[in-house]
Amino acid sequence: MADKELLLHAEQIDKSFGPTHAVDHVSLDFYKGEVHCLIGENGSGKSTFTNMLTGILPIGSGTFTLEGTQVAPKNQVDANHLGIAIVVQEQGTLDGLTVAENMFLGDEGQFMRGGIKDTRAMVKKAQELLDDYGFGHIKAQDPIENYTFEERKLVEIVKATWFNPKVLVVDETTTALSQDGRDHLFRIIHRVRDHGDCVIMIDHDMDIVMAISDRISILRDGEYIGTVATEEVDADRLKTLMVGREMNEKYYRTDWGPSLAQDVAITMSHVSVPGQLEDVSLELHNGEILGIGGLSECGMHEVGKALFGASFDRTGEVRLADGTEINDINTAIDRGIAYTSKDRDNESLLINDTIADNITLPSLRDYGKFITASKVRSEAEKYADLMSTKMVGVSQFVSALSGGNKQKVVIARWLAKGSDILLLDSPTRGIDIKVKSDIYNLLDEMRKQGKAILIISEEIAELMGMCDRILIMKDRKIAAELARDRDLTDTDIIQYMI
Amino acid sequence: MSETQTAVVVEEEPTRRLTLSAIRPFLPFIGLFALLGFFAITTNGQILSVRNLTLMLNNTYLLFIACVGVFMIMTMGSLDFSQGSLLGVASIVVCVLSNYNVVLAVVGGVFTGAAIGAVNAFFHVKRQIPSFIVTNCMMFLLRGVIQFFTNTPIMGASYLQRDLWNMPLMMTITVITLGIGYFVFTYTSLGAQLKAIGAGQTAARFAGVKVKKVKTLVYIAAGALTGFAAFINCIKVGSVTALSGMMLETQILISLVMGGMPISGGAKVRFTNIIVGVLSYRILNQGLVMMGFDTMMQQLIMGVVFLVVVALFSDRESISVIK
Repeated sequence: MADKELLLHAEQIDKSFGPTHAVDHVSLDFYKGEVHCLIGENGSGKSTFTNMLTGILPIGSGTFTLEGTQVAPKNQVDANHLGIAIVVQEQGTLDGLTVAENMFLGDEGQFMRGGIKDTRAMVKKAQELLDDYGFGHIKAQDPIENYTFEERKLVEIVKATWFNPKVLVVDETTTALSQDGRDHLFRIIHRVRDHGDCVIMIDHDMDIVMAISDRISILRDGEYIGTVATEEVDADRLKTLMVGREMNEKYYRTDWGPSLAQDVAITMSHVSVPGQLEDVSLELHNGEILGIGGLSECGMHEVGKALFGASFDRTGEVRLADGTEINDINTAIDRGIAYTSKDRDNESLLINDTIADNITLPSLRDYGKFITASKVRSEAEKYADLMSTKMVGVSQFVSALSGGNKQKVVIARWLAKGSDILLLDSPTRGIDIKVKSDIYNLLDEMRKQGKAILIISEEIAELMGMCDRILIMKDRKIAAELARDRDLTDTDIIQYMI
Repeated sequence: MSETQTAVVVEEEPTRRLTLSAIRPFLPFIGLFALLGFFAITTNGQILSVRNLTLMLNNTYLLFIACVGVFMIMTMGSLDFSQGSLLGVASIVVCVLSNYNVVLAVVGGVFTGAAIGAVNAFFHVKRQIPSFIVTNCMMFLLRGVIQFFTNTPIMGASYLQRDLWNMPLMMTITVITLGIGYFVFTYTSLGAQLKAIGAGQTAARFAGVKVKKVKTLVYIAAGALTGFAAFINCIKVGSVTALSGMMLETQILISLVMGGMPISGGAKVRFTNIIVGVLSYRILNQGLVMMGFDTMMQQLIMGVVFLVVVALFSDRESISVIK
């Protein structure tokens, strides 16, 4: 690597949020033609670091030097003009605009003809780019909300790369993408690298990190730990570097025998939801973990909502073992069903509310006619502590927590409610290894207690590692059912998805 | 919004620091006493005279009662601009019915308010139209109704006994209303659900809050409360004119905001916002009158105060969620 040419140098980059030292005087070098992964647990400062580089956050102190010139972008468009682009972790496109308008957002100047925007030229250029990237099925003149989360991510990738940026930041984008979308992304990443530019990638998936990167830098609690060449390390070594201690707890379940219980907890028969599900039937048993996998838009995320009574325009039947029909959320919750959404910040959590309110909201009715603040507090503390949530106190706002701790709050909520059927959509999305392993242990524990657990996940390893049965969905239908098996490989599973 | 709350990542145990955000909950109280102090000086203490304090108190009953309902609406992150005209229409009903029976008049006022609240709720909740549009339209519509009926002289006068207007009765009614409001807001799951809807409607739905039902209920309750306030308005003023209840919605809004209520509702709402807010508003209003400002000047100053308070204390992150 020593022969590589220096592209970007970060010198003593530092940032604090109030009392939190998010990035602690980090100095790093990035070379031309490399894929450089930043890894670390949630809250280790990776995103904060790249957000300063790309103008999303102002730089606290320190300097970035790009090809000998100091850069301090004021915003993302400014960063683009300097040759730095980012694909963000969350949705980065805006509703109400067309695909083309989103693509050239903040950069419409090039299409201005005498003070008037030449929409046709903009659409034409956008469509050319989309076709060129192989995303011809996305039409530039369409409103962006016609497209799925994944397709919108693809648009964002085009938006971030078409002008050949010198530095491309990809912040945890793979979690939002199906296998198909990931392949597109990797192809583009390689293209940027081969062009002699640098890709800075943040990802929690060690397999992806190992497969795609040339070098890996580790951050821990905002501090720079070190940089290694990918070919010199293995995933276990990286995990140890990330958490700063040996990971000797078991990660997934270790038993491979057939599942214990056979009595049905909840049945879904011939359920259809327009545009999402077509005639889907399934049974979830007590004491088992059932997995649902598939490409991102195969409809699997709707299965959780349908079982929870949250789908709109659903037909077909969802019934509990005792015959109760589940048609609305309140019945579902009252009858012991819990649901955690993939869209954690919007559907699961009241972001601008306290940990206490978030944990106790569904349980309030159980506290009797009159609710006191002390009851809410003590219940919330009990379950937040049970999940070992990292917090100042239960009156802290959820918005201040990291992804992993947010998920702990969501799970604590359903533990507090005492739910017996858990529908978990992407339970470990964007969560670091430590919390992930906590959650897996907890799920296994609950399975042994006889609870019925459904995991909807885009991570095949998670499905294989945790589930007694795996249903694979494709085009809104169930395509295959696989039993837990030590010899199952991801290729076995993927073949049913595509 | 405090710095620790806006931070994306807070992994280390943060220690609390004294920032603007830390003292924010106390600012409305400080404001209240600052206003009182300011006007005490500029009016040479006259504002603190018994006569003036009584006058100010007499002017708060109606506002207090109407504020309770709108407070609940705003906690959910919605708005209601129809309250003033609603008061006007309900006042007409109260006046007419008071020809027959006082109790009937009260019930009529409450029902009229509740019915208008239900119409607001229908368009906002069922038809999913933003609340400020629905209630603004309702305001124009009801103003027309009031114009029409107050043209007939017979509606102009209230037959209610003026002697109903006495301080102990009004105080009792106000305190009981506030007490019930406080109790519901603090000690029932409904109160918690209101805040949850304000903090995040979708997430609240997924946690089992019947968002539509709660919203409808609150709009009806708020209408009923202001309908009840119409009764107080009638015995105080003794007549209904085309201007009855004019600008009440703005007074409510300014009061709540001066009381420290986040305009987007949610978790930071406190019941004390009503008390502190109405008192602050009244003192500001009375102080300006006593300093000899004319109505136009008063309005201008109120407007500036409103903007400054909103700009200083609003929760900019969540302001976009007002519906």
